[in-house]
Amino acid sequence: MSTGATNDVPLTRKDFISDQTVRWCPGCGDYAILAQMQRALPEIGVPKERTVFISGIGCSSRFPYYMNTYGIHSIHGRAPTLATGLAIANPDLSIWVITGDGDGLSIGGNHLLHAIRRNVNLKIILFNNRIYGLTKGQYSPTSRTGAVTKSSPMGVMEQPLNPIAVAMAAEATFVARSIDSHPQHLAATLKQASDHLGTAFVEIYQNCVIFNPTEWTELSDRKNRDDSILYLEHGKHMIFGKNQDKGIRLNGFTPEVVSLDDVDLDDILVHDATSKPLASILGSMEFPDYPAAMGVIRDVRKPDYAAELISQVRTAQEERGVGDLNQLYLAADLWTVHTRKEVECASARERRDGEAAISVRRLDASSQASVMPITGLDEEYIDDLDKPEEKISDFQDLLVTDTVSALEPNIPITMSEHSSLARTIRQMNRHNIGCVLVTDEEDRLVGIFTEWDALMRVVGVVDDLAQQTVADYMTPEPLALKADLPIAQALNLMSVHGFRHLPLVDDNNHPIGIISFRDVVGYLNDVLEKE
Amino acid sequence: MSLQTELKSERVSHLAVSGFSRVSVGTSIRNTLAQMQADGQVVCLVTDDKQVGPPSETAQLVGIFTERDVMRKVIDVPGMLDKPVDEVMTPHPITVGPDASAADALRLMDENHFRNLPIVDTSGRLLGNMTHQAIIQYLADRYPVEVLNRPSDPERFPHKAEGG
Ligand code: SF4
Repeated sequence: MSTGATNDVPLTRKDFISDQTVRWCPGCGDYAILAQMQRALPEIGVPKERTVFISGIGCSSRFPYYMNTYGIHSIHGRAPTLATGLAIANPDLSIWVITGDGDGLSIGGNHLLHAIRRNVNLKIILFNNRIYGLTKGQYSPTSRTGAVTKSSPMGVMEQPLNPIAVAMAAEATFVARSIDSHPQHLAATLKQASDHLGTAFVEIYQNCVIFNPTEWTELSDRKNRDDSILYLEHGKHMIFGKNQDKGIRLNGFTPEVVSLDDVDLDDILVHDATSKPLASILGSMEFPDYPAAMGVIRDVRKPDYAAELISQVRTAQEERGVGDLNQLYLAADLWTVHTRKEVECASARERRDGEAAISVRRLDASSQASVMPITGLDEEYIDDLDKPEEKISDFQDLLVTDTVSALEPNIPITMSEHSSLARTIRQMNRHNIGCVLVTDEEDRLVGIFTEWDALMRVVGVVDDLAQQTVADYMTPEPLALKADLPIAQALNLMSVHGFRHLPLVDDNNHPIGIISFRDVVGYLNDVLEKE
Repeated sequence: MSLQTELKSERVSHLAVSGFSRVSVGTSIRNTLAQMQADGQVVCLVTDDKQVGPPSETAQLVGIFTERDVMRKVIDVPGMLDKPVDEVMTPHPITVGPDASAADALRLMDENHFRNLPIVDTSGRLLGNMTHQAIIQYLADRYPVEVLNRPSDPERFPHKAEGG
């Protein structure tokens, strides 16, 4: 893959997809977040050679492998630390820290706090699934009190941390929240975070389908989510609900949900992303007592750490000149340590004694372990936890079991890449189709030309259609599917990219079919009606 | 649960419907296309604004002009660009109100082979353009585990559910 400067060539999502096999569980919410990141970055427009993803340890922390940018899979909880160093050493980089509820709030809790407090120019994305996924299902610092997990068989006794409140306590200058199952909202939130200069902290509610699959159902369910989510917009009233009929009012210091039928619009809170007290109130509103606040909760400008530091260094250098590290070492209070035979002998003796002591202790421990009874491990209970909850409708089943070939794809009309635009358009009109597939000499798929290309790039722009070849106006290397993939994959590509047509190819990349929005909707509609 | 029943209970105004461009009746096809290209929209609604300037809220919808019309009537027909859009638009398109159910809207589209169905409220305000994409998006949002949470490259997919 080309790594040259990409300033003038517009980037596409493909540029950000790495060649690594993604290792998350099938159905994990991380996939949706990855897809939105790969969609948002080309729009943000920072070249990939200036983009870095740094993570710690955990499921989410595999993220850097899957982005075709610079990346560091670092030490548990320490991603903000490495990122801080990088931001100072190279302030031109766009740095994203990917962390989770465990990595960010337990293992690396204090690193996170201090990166935020310093307002380093980082985008910190915390995937909150309220469980340790990678280590297979122990409760995390955000697990709810009472949650039954592998490490809390009788329920969690601790109080969960609220990531937004943690960020607020560290004086975060940008705080936002989104959810994996709402792609448009997620992409928009990521873009807003990327625009912020300073630390942008984003909490994403993420579904761990294996170990905590029901944590966010009320918020991700498309049918009810608008009743459970308060979408924030700076300067707008805090109104929510499927019918936009509920609002948030302040009663003293306490927010309350009111019906707009009973309350004047003037009494409803207006979101002000610059207000710290308001941000604290929004952060403290916990679902299900309140709707979950999503969007930009706080956004203020404060000096960014690297810029401040660099300017201090510059001032110091102007006043006292560029320093010399060697001189600094030799400057004052220098001791020389001499080697002495006796010292060496003494320490060697100590080492031997020490080792012996340790091995004695080890023996003790192992003999104890063999007699220690195994208690508290209820095999049946553990097996139970291993099984994810199955509650799958026929429809969901069909999305993953039926393959795209069931859609009875149309035979595609193909054109050689040397065909003229005039001929291509005549063919499309003759067959009454919205797109043609473009192939090379060996009939391999090299591009797709659709009505969209004709409207956006040809009509009113190209004078003589006969003089131009389709290869110059098509979308090259289109995403294509194999016919044995599930319908859900087609839906995924169509929804993530808005592709109206998807080519199907065989193993040799020869086009064998084409499917459209309409085919998918029509099929699902028909099949389900028959049932 | 069938798709039909689901869509019956959703109103079109609750779907993520598509946007559109807008021009006044009498606009040249050249300018109409320029507008659509600038907006990145494949559908242009034509309204009967009399005054020049920004569109008025209550201008009536008189026609719809889409990429399909571009292909069939404009792109390879010489001399079309300076004609008014009225000559190539589809006049008086069928519309639905924001409270129509998604199922009804979809049926209307399928029966008439429409790709686009403008959403207009009782005072004539243009609210959006319903397409099949809105249904695709709905399904994706409704079944995120099955649809959204899939790898970028369908060929590379882990088959074990064991974390990270
Ligand atoms: S264990 Fe949970 S969070 Fe980790 S990859 Fe699997 S589903 Fe995702």
